Amino acid sequence: MEYSILQVVLVFIVTFIAAIDQFSFLESLYQPLVTGMVIGLILGDVQTGLIVGGTYQLMTIGNMPIGGAQPPNAVIGGIMAAILAITLHLDANVAVATAIPFSLLGQYGVTLIFTLMSPLMSKCDQYAAEANPKGIEHINYLSMCLLGLIFGTVVTLFFIGGQSVGQTVVNAIPDWLNNGLSAAGGMMRFVGFAILLKFMMNKDMWGFYFLGFALAIVVSNISALATPGLLILALIGFGFAYWDYQQNTELGGATAASMNDGGEEDGI
Amino acid sequence: MASKETEAQKVNRFEGVTQYQDLTPAPDLDQKTLNQMAWRSCFLQASFNYERMQSAGWLYSILPGLEKIHTNKDDLALSMTHNMEFFNIHPFLVTFAMGIILSMEQKKVDIPTIRAVRVSLMGPLGGIGDALFWMTLVPITAGICSNMAISGNIFGPILFLVIFNAVQFALRFGLMNWSYKMGMNALDYLMEHMKAFTRAASILGVFVVGCLTVTMGGTQINVQIPNGTTEAYVAKTAVVPTNDVKKFEVIKKSDDGKDTTLSGMVDKDGNALTTTDSDGNAVTAGSTDLGNGMSEVTYMETQETPVTIDLASILDSICPKLVPLAIVMLLYYLFAKKNFTPMKGIVLVLIIGIVGAGPFGLWPSIWG
Repeated sequence: MEYSILQVVLVFIVTFIAAIDQFSFLESLYQPLVTGMVIGLILGDVQTGLIVGGTYQLMTIGNMPIGGAQPPNAVIGGIMAAILAITLHLDANVAVATAIPFSLLGQYGVTLIFTLMSPLMSKCDQYAAEANPKGIEHINYLSMCLLGLIFGTVVTLFFIGGQSVGQTVVNAIPDWLNNGLSAAGGMMRFVGFAILLKFMMNKDMWGFYFLGFALAIVVSNISALATPGLLILALIGFGFAYWDYQQNTELGGATAASMNDGGEEDGI
Repeated sequence: MASKETEAQKVNRFEGVTQYQDLTPAPDLDQKTLNQMAWRSCFLQASFNYERMQSAGWLYSILPGLEKIHTNKDDLALSMTHNMEFFNIHPFLVTFAMGIILSMEQKKVDIPTIRAVRVSLMGPLGGIGDALFWMTLVPITAGICSNMAISGNIFGPILFLVIFNAVQFALRFGLMNWSYKMGMNALDYLMEHMKAFTRAASILGVFVVGCLTVTMGGTQINVQIPNGTTEAYVAKTAVVPTNDVKKFEVIKKSDDGKDTTLSGMVDKDGNALTTTDSDGNAVTAGSTDLGNGMSEVTYMETQETPVTIDLASILDSICPKLVPLAIVMLLYYLFAKKNFTPMKGIVLVLIIGIVGAGPFGLWPSIWG
């Protein structure tokens, strides 16, 4: 089926916006429920768009970005499902299943972008040290455009090239590269943690780091506490911190003798 | 090269600086600035990445406030620098953290305290936000609206957008104003015991980083070390003429003539062999006479299976999450003692990741 240039451009713009919206802005426009309707409007079949969007949305409900996890990408998956259903006249469920390779491709793309964006943070450090707010703003705008462009290009290519292209591209990416990038991506947060520790750590603080580490292992192994886990941990940590605060203030009088001996060294 | 070194020096010049030059508290932020920052908080994850996560977006969101607070350019640079450190919080609840941090910046609280509070805030909000949005609001509204859409109702998607964004923006603007005022009030009290407060906040901050090492540290290795083979009996059944049953008692003897039964029905003392099947039920070798000259025999065959040592389960039996802990400790050592820049840390991690995955299929991936 042939589509006009205008329709191709509109699909690109919708993908561009949805790609940005999955992490920033309204964080709701990208949901397949919404993109299905919009793609339906563009390609002139709102009914199919609505049905496919709703079907895809129901599938993703159990697949939310909880705890920062990276589920198969709903932006590319949702948009491609609607495109496939309308252009190839596929049944909604078949279209959703056919779009799965595309959603995996979106997931790879996100991993790649999150990895590639990491070195750019040094540029931000430099702008910060120069007190250059414009520089920080530009990096943020630039990364959003990059994300939108990559997603927009990928979807437009598949829109023109058809469904077989998606599978070919997925097969062409070597497993080791994908594994290596995801492993590196998963470890990069440790760089952030280590820098925080460098600034915050004093010799008398190590105990609290390992206390948090150990308690988090205990809490994270209790499946019933999967969601409230971090809050419970924060309450425990607050308990320690508040007790320490009281020791040094209100209860200070009671331990005044010991404070006079070595109290000054308690501070940081 | 020379210019690069001066850039690095510029970033490093704040290391060890704990106080702003201008310590006079700034005037209160006006409502317009607060609103502007609440809007900007929508772009918290604009430059999300695996190293600092939301830090650049966080700085972008609070910049209008920081520019009003720090009229001294050096102070603004200092504030921007420490706000570029690792940050990750629930995107819909971020304004809560923004209000508190801005109130501290405004009172010119010393930097270790601001940093400790900022890090502490990363802990509790993530779980609350996930429970509120991804496990309650989205499943319910999207579920209902999807069913409307599937039945062809165009108001499905629209209703979803309206409900979701009404909740989102009420939270963003509400939390911004509430936490800013709360921060200002709480600080008046806390400033009296600044030293004790800084220490307490640092304790909570370090504690939270310890927790994050576990809850966000998914890195696990998957290495199987071959360790010989093991022999196990596998039960088989067959129906044979009763006269042939004897043949199944011993199928094979070892070559040196010793009475070690490898397969069959009885061991060298004449006791029936036993094993367990795949469902874990006990099976005993033996024969049942079917009465028509035929017997059903259950006999054992030995099967060799390779044995491997799973490195991950050994590590886990010492202490779970040992790999994330080891990497954090290594990086801490490199940053704190070897003057590594964050960039070098990223490159190191990238190399470890790719090499570990076995580039070009040279060796199996070690990542589990």
